[in-house]
Amino acid sequence: MSALAAAIQVLGGLALAPLLPGTIQSLKARMQGRRGPSPLQPYRELRRLWGKSLADPQPTTIVYRLAPCVLAATTGLAILLVPVGGLSPGWGLGDDALVLVGLLALGRFALAAASWDTGSGFALMGASRDLTLAVAAEALLVLAIVLAAIPADSTGLAAMSAAANGSGIWSEPGHWCAAGAFGLIVVFETGRQPIDNPDTHLELTMIHEGPLLEYAGRDLALLQWSAAARHWIVLVLAAELFLPHWGGFGAQLVCLLAGVALLCVGLALTETAQAKMRILRAPALLAGGCLLAMVGLASWLAGGLV
Amino acid sequence: MSGLDWLAGAGVALLAAGSLAPVLRLRAAGALTFQALGVGLLGAAGALVLFGAPAIGAGFHDGLSPRLGIDGLTGFFLATIAIVAAPSLVYARDYLAGAARGRALVGLSGLFLLSLVAVVTARDPSSFLASWELMTLVPAAAILVQRSDAAVRHAVFVYLAITHLGGAGVWISVLALAHYGALGDPGAIAAQGSGVQALVIVSALIGFGTKAGLMPMHSWLPRAHPVAPSHISALMSGVMIKVALYGLIRVLFEWAAPAPLWAGLVVLALGLLSALGGVLYALVQHDLKRLLAFHSIENVGIVVLGLGASILFASGGDTTWAAIAFAAALLHILNHGVFKALLFLAAGAFERAVGSLDVDRIGGLLRRMPWTGGAFLIGSMAIAGVPPLNGFASEWLTLQALIHVALGPSLGLGLAGAIAVAGLAATAALALFCFVKAVGLVLLGAPRRPEAAAAVEAPAGMRSGMVFLAGCCVALGAAPGLLVPSLMALAPQPHHLATEPSLRIPGTGSLPSPWLLLGIVALTGLLWLLRGSRRAVPVPTWACGQRIEPALAWSSAGFTKPLRLVLEGILRPRREITTVQEHGLVRSVSYRGEIPHLFDTMLYGPVQRQALAAARIARRIQSGSVRAYAGYLLALLLVLLVLARAGAIG
Repeated sequence: MSALAAAIQVLGGLALAPLLPGTIQSLKARMQGRRGPSPLQPYRELRRLWGKSLADPQPTTIVYRLAPCVLAATTGLAILLVPVGGLSPGWGLGDDALVLVGLLALGRFALAAASWDTGSGFALMGASRDLTLAVAAEALLVLAIVLAAIPADSTGLAAMSAAANGSGIWSEPGHWCAAGAFGLIVVFETGRQPIDNPDTHLELTMIHEGPLLEYAGRDLALLQWSAAARHWIVLVLAAELFLPHWGGFGAQLVCLLAGVALLCVGLALTETAQAKMRILRAPALLAGGCLLAMVGLASWLAGGLV
Repeated sequence: MSGLDWLAGAGVALLAAGSLAPVLRLRAAGALTFQALGVGLLGAAGALVLFGAPAIGAGFHDGLSPRLGIDGLTGFFLATIAIVAAPSLVYARDYLAGAARGRALVGLSGLFLLSLVAVVTARDPSSFLASWELMTLVPAAAILVQRSDAAVRHAVFVYLAITHLGGAGVWISVLALAHYGALGDPGAIAAQGSGVQALVIVSALIGFGTKAGLMPMHSWLPRAHPVAPSHISALMSGVMIKVALYGLIRVLFEWAAPAPLWAGLVVLALGLLSALGGVLYALVQHDLKRLLAFHSIENVGIVVLGLGASILFASGGDTTWAAIAFAAALLHILNHGVFKALLFLAAGAFERAVGSLDVDRIGGLLRRMPWTGGAFLIGSMAIAGVPPLNGFASEWLTLQALIHVALGPSLGLGLAGAIAVAGLAATAALALFCFVKAVGLVLLGAPRRPEAAAAVEAPAGMRSGMVFLAGCCVALGAAPGLLVPSLMALAPQPHHLATEPSLRIPGTGSLPSPWLLLGIVALTGLLWLLRGSRRAVPVPTWACGQRIEPALAWSSAGFTKPLRLVLEGILRPRREITTVQEHGLVRSVSYRGEIPHLFDTMLYGPVQRQALAAARIARRIQSGSVRAYAGYLLALLLVLLVLARAGAIG
């Protein structure tokens, strides 16, 4: 069972991850009445980039060249921490939620440092906006972790998933608040509207795309895979911790699949219905999420409704 | 006498011999080697006691006869002092070579270390207070020996004024403790009732908190640390403020224990204010050493958050987590000492190479100074709290402790814990923001001035000190679990944890730090191989077809602009834009912006003005004429006589 979970982690994270942004893009196009690219488009992009030569903006150092590898490595390790079907094979890395937060932060550090290395205004603009939003997002993420840790009495991701198993937890208002708060994290980490627009081609409006501007070839392929893998991490995490799931490993896998599909539809819907927010308004949105999480915490600690 | 006594004694002797350098006319480098060896031996003795050897020397007593001794907590602080000071002194051998008044500075460095060692080994109130004062005065002298222009004199004056005013709190609390016999007999204060305990705790928080740089008593720190010579800055930030925390820990967890719940909440609030306030003001600094000084405030805040959580757990009866939170605070003390000393030493090397510490005017030093730059990069990542380095390990532990405060069961404490959790998470994100900025402006990109383009690597002695500290950052990050069980044993209610490199703590998903380090390095290496070594095409950076000119380079202010706009209400930036127009044609635009330090303008400024006004009123009765003073004396005598007759006195 554990071996199967491990296989799903690796294969899913590595191979299925690009399918998620592809599906969202394709769904979005349908909703907007366009034909749009096929869900497999990200794979074609990755294949094309893998064969291209690298670019080396002048003057850069090893920090610029190493950043895509560090980002992809931390994202890859983060995938191994996320439980699937309520099981966390461990890999000797444990399954602590805060370690996951730390790994994502290391990737962010690497990419922002690379932006400084190029000295490109657009890259730095994106990095500085990303880091600004990350301040509120990190507080929100940790508060969502606290909310999920209350029923589990642990910050282990598998324990949190087990505690959210079944329908009993949904009678707690605190869990609804947690789900809402984590929804904002999903939007932020996947870089989607209303916080960021993944389709923008205007450098001045980019957030997550900005630091990628200078990269080419395999470097860019690694970065794009990392962005797709971040979709996998937060969507699977959202489904495992904050969407309904029941029963044993098999049943939970079905729930996971349904949950991730539902989230993809949800993201495509918000992208269709919602315009991008002014960047300076986004921290207020995330801070509102923090408030929601606090209300949820108060409700949990006051004993809930039941 | 045991072997440990001899070890510690030899350490003190070597340190003292090294400090007497100016008198003995020893060569500066030799004297520094003596000092480094001495502090190393003391640290070894401390580490042995920490890891289970029996305590040596005297125990605490309340009398006046001076006594010294080393127990577990002192051992931990001695080891911390040694790990920070020994590489700093090795660094100073080359750093001070050829410096003006180098020999006096060497003597003062040794004296400073002796006073730090004396504070943590003092076992009676008189030697504690005496060495405490010495510890405050010596760095002031060290600063003035090297530079004495008006700005520096003002900084030193502010440092001495604030730390002495606040330091009164230390005297009050230590003398009150000695009066009630609480140094030798913990529990004596609790027997005196809550009033005395409150007096001791509040005065200790003010006294030790001022010296530790806790907000809002911090105002001296960002002034004094940047002007000191770099190895003294490293000792001040890395060790001196930690020794102040040592005093606070002794009071809260030993002499006035058990600390009540309100003390835990106050400590938690002070920690949160310092952590967030420190990092926010660090973000908007332009001077590298001033930026680092504000980060010391932030990190002291993180340590104090751990201490506050420990008090809250202990008052709720959860001794396991009380011990874990206590260990988290101690671990962060050591970790911050290591990476902050490293960063200050690197800043000193940059200043020597470039001649300025204005971050907007350095750039591109990683290429020119790979050793110093690499060490600075590791230190920056450690302080930014990213895995697998040491800053992450202690912040992880502190955050876990706060999360378990937030998990309840009581609603009020849970909400307090949740606010602290969110605050610490935001602090970590802000610290990452700030150090990406520092690394980018100092190490990466194109050189921003000719001196940076022509910088040369620091000499071997300076390099070795920094590389050693960078190695400590990696080692402490890889195996925090080897240390944490010993630190948990120092808590008031010790708790046992298996000694292994990873941190496996019930109620968490565990921090398998060695595997994390291995995983990150191996996976990055694998991807590096996969990426292949195809020839990369050299291209110019994309700027919409424009040429990249130095004037277009991003500045520190530009990078933090979005955050400044978001936090406008808190930071209250001031800016002035003057546009000169002639016949409807814009001739020139000048921009000036600054972020006033709100604690200075809104707290210290008014207090200072009121104090001066009060002094002016007091001056009216100081006429300077002898007859007036004789009159005052007569009046006093009459009042006393009347009181005595009325039976009020005597």
